[in-house]
Amino acid sequence: MEAIATLPGAAAAHRGKVGIWWFLASEIMVFGGLIASYIISRMGGPGWEAEAHHLSVPLASLNTLILLTSSLTMVLACAAAERRDLGGVRTYLLCTIVLGLAFLGIKAFEYSGKIAAGILPGSAPFWSFYYTMTGLHGLHVLAGIVVNTLFFLGAAKVVRHPHRVEMGGLYWHFVDVVWIFLFPLLYLA
Amino acid sequence: MSSDKAHAAEISLERAHPSYVGIWVWLVLLMVAGVLASRLPLDHSAVVTLIFAIAAVKAGLVALYYMGLRFERGVIYAMALVPLALVVMLTFLLLPDFVFHHH
Repeated sequence: MEAIATLPGAAAAHRGKVGIWWFLASEIMVFGGLIASYIISRMGGPGWEAEAHHLSVPLASLNTLILLTSSLTMVLACAAAERRDLGGVRTYLLCTIVLGLAFLGIKAFEYSGKIAAGILPGSAPFWSFYYTMTGLHGLHVLAGIVVNTLFFLGAAKVVRHPHRVEMGGLYWHFVDVVWIFLFPLLYLA
Repeated sequence: MSSDKAHAAEISLERAHPSYVGIWVWLVLLMVAGVLASRLPLDHSAVVTLIFAIAAVKAGLVALYYMGLRFERGVIYAMALVPLALVVMLTFLLLPDFVFHHH
């Protein structure tokens, strides 16, 4: 079967989309492996609920709302790019960046509170998973913020090539989907 | 005449996009539902099943409408679904060893 991405008529947009989905497939395995390990470990032994009670559901709910809203502003930025609306692209990308920074700020506040209380990654298996999963997710959010900032600074070029911000949007929505599962896994279950 | 065509193209483009704000409203409502469900006075496994079902619906909405999976086909769908299936399989295959093993 001929690889579709190498067909002479394949547009750069489609090749880029296949590429980014290929990357997201590998990311699903990374986070999926961590989540599977957490589920297995938690089901295999007692005491995890007691540790999870130290987490703040209201703060995490706020963070979830922030990330869901950032997905909205990201997809609106993509739609603006398709319409060649430079002002819309800049506005919505800036909103996405600010919301991403707010998410990381709240995460940093959570971490600092835990560390000040002596709750470290080595304190218990639950905290090892908590810091690893949310830390890895936080790094992905940071990477997305960097990419979105580059798009914002080069917005004039983005409206000429709207598929680029669409690919950035796919990554950003994936990061949101990961948090959609981390939130109930760590804070609610 | 060309402005009519441009206008029709713009309307066509708008119809191709779902209501992103409408999807966001559903996502927020589902988030609230998940938090409230975690407080229900039910058996723990029932609560966990409910909150993860809600999370799956939220993830589905983001994937289908924000990531555009609803309008994709073929290899894109495969790249989204195959790793997901592998992760679910991985979890279930490890359950006998770590959760249900007998000494």
